[in-house]
Amino acid sequence: MLRKLAAGAAVAALIHCPASAQDAYTIGLTGALTGPPASTYAPAVEALRVYLERVNAAGGVNGKKVNLILQDDSAEPGKAAANAKKLIAQDNVILLMNASLSSTYAPVVAEAKRAGVPVLFASSVCPKDVYPPADPLEFCTTAFAANYDSRATLAFIKETAKEPVKIGFSAMAIPLSRGEMDFAESQAPGLGMTVVDKEVIPPPTPDYTPFATKLKDAGANWVFSWAPWVTQVRTLEALRRLGWRGEYVAWSHIEAEGELARLKDGRFYVIGANALFQDELPIHKEIAGAAKQAGVPYPAQQMAEGWIAGMVVEAALKAAGWPASAEKLAAAMANLTVDTKGLRGGPIAWTKDNHFRTRQYYRVYAWDEAKSAIVRVKDWTAFDVK
Amino acid sequence: MQLAVNIAVLTAIYALIACGYVLVYRVSRVLNLAHGELMMLSAYLLLVTASQFGSHWAVAIATALGLSGLVGVLVYLFLMRKMTGEMVLAAVLTTVALGILLRGATVLIWSAQQHYPVQRLNITNFAIALPGGARISLCAALLVATMILVYSSLFAFLRLGRWGVRMRAAGQRPLLAAQRGINLHIIYAMAWGLSTLIGAMAGMLIAMDQGLDQTMATIGLKAFPAALVGGLDSLLGALVGALIVATAEILLIHYVDPLLSEVVPFAVLIAVLVVWPWGLFGTREELDRV
Repeated sequence: MLRKLAAGAAVAALIHCPASAQDAYTIGLTGALTGPPASTYAPAVEALRVYLERVNAAGGVNGKKVNLILQDDSAEPGKAAANAKKLIAQDNVILLMNASLSSTYAPVVAEAKRAGVPVLFASSVCPKDVYPPADPLEFCTTAFAANYDSRATLAFIKETAKEPVKIGFSAMAIPLSRGEMDFAESQAPGLGMTVVDKEVIPPPTPDYTPFATKLKDAGANWVFSWAPWVTQVRTLEALRRLGWRGEYVAWSHIEAEGELARLKDGRFYVIGANALFQDELPIHKEIAGAAKQAGVPYPAQQMAEGWIAGMVVEAALKAAGWPASAEKLAAAMANLTVDTKGLRGGPIAWTKDNHFRTRQYYRVYAWDEAKSAIVRVKDWTAFDVK
Repeated sequence: MQLAVNIAVLTAIYALIACGYVLVYRVSRVLNLAHGELMMLSAYLLLVTASQFGSHWAVAIATALGLSGLVGVLVYLFLMRKMTGEMVLAAVLTTVALGILLRGATVLIWSAQQHYPVQRLNITNFAIALPGGARISLCAALLVATMILVYSSLFAFLRLGRWGVRMRAAGQRPLLAAQRGINLHIIYAMAWGLSTLIGAMAGMLIAMDQGLDQTMATIGLKAFPAALVGGLDSLLGALVGALIVATAEILLIHYVDPLLSEVVPFAVLIAVLVVWPWGLFGTREELDRV
């Protein structure tokens, strides 16, 4: 009798589980939670998870819970493809998210397109398909933007430099970083700068000094690096150890705030689209509190990127209503404006043709040696995305 | 002059890592493909000891080194010992599995973010000015000094030390060595311990110089061609191989294209192996295949 009861309970539980899943918004994410580039993606994914947990604790979206399924792809395209297949076919997600290297995009997008499921790139670089004219199923919340970032950085250098600029570039040997540095190299002469060197550094490198030696010997007084954080900061440190005293600008990845405080280098600037926590906005305090409560293993300063993705997912699901389908969600996302509460210079606004954002804002920070603190060097500057 | 310093530092890195591959291979004929991961684990152990012992950097480093050596011995005792008498391929695959396990475990324990052991140890990695306008960081200078110390100690140990001679005997004629009363398991455990300890020295110094993250395991693999070029069972070969690979890499970065640094070690490897299939100083082995 007991055995029959136990078997009946097990069957009931099995039947109940899918019903519960159908009673929630199910979204899936494939990301580099482990592997060499995980330091860039894992904190953002953790922030997204914490954000959605808070949404669920507050009653969910449209009265329904959000069920986030995380799959690790270690930044390997094969694993990402298998994850996408599983999330779409088995878990029936209505939104597929990607937080991984660009090499994983093709298989993920292919699977999503076959099923008509929208793909949201969050913390991974925005692919060209989200810029106007955007692909109907691809969207992006990530701060950095190819070409726009170089334009903003070169404009900052031109404005700040007190003497003729002899510029060097540092890229990681991955297509995206190389492409951006090639773009910057092509733009610099038009702004009156002399390009003296461009180093494309393979990952991983046991010693960055040989590359830094070339930049220094080439006579660069400014170096711009747009690459994963490890390449940016290790090139700078190698340059400083060689006695180079020039100015260095890097993209403000999620590690930037902690690293500015660690390096305490007054000639090191970070340019980015996210407000740093030193601004002490109410939203920063909220994130820090949530991170502490959830026992997140990463510093709260690294969570803004994932938090913004969470805000956008919440707003998109809300706009899609209930019951939501992938089709309804894609339609809702194509006409969405999300207030980032100061985390960015303005809202994330998506239109039918623009799934990146209609305006991209940049801010520059650096370490102020006199104040012994991170300071804003240049406030929000807007660039229209057309 | 800076070029020469860069070559010396990269040679030191490759030589210290390659030394670990050689020590295990010459004694047991097992290729330890988890060497990079063990090196990474040692660097993470330094993070732990640095947190425990605060500003007593010498205690923190010594403890981490001791623990790393112990990890090597334990890997042999609880894992590789079971492989004794099995196909060499099975043992090699076991090291691959161990490497994957260690990568996963380090992310789970220490997360994926960048760490800076030198900060926790309250050490300043200052630059030292050298003649000819060259500069070298403290940790990079320590890497070169450690390489010199390790190799001279190992040469002396293997030539003159009682246990060193036993180690060589076990590597050359294991059956005969066992019949002469040498406990092979102790020798193998010692080789694993020493290999991991020397890998730890490299890992810790690289982490102190450049920072620590998951990519360190791959740096371990980058030194593998140096070991192969010199001959997998020769310490002198590891040193010469490291020098050749590092020199080729630095010169090509400087004079041709930085991207070649990824390809050079393997191009050198192929060029050498075509002429000397066992490496420059390797021992010709009996073929078990055509």
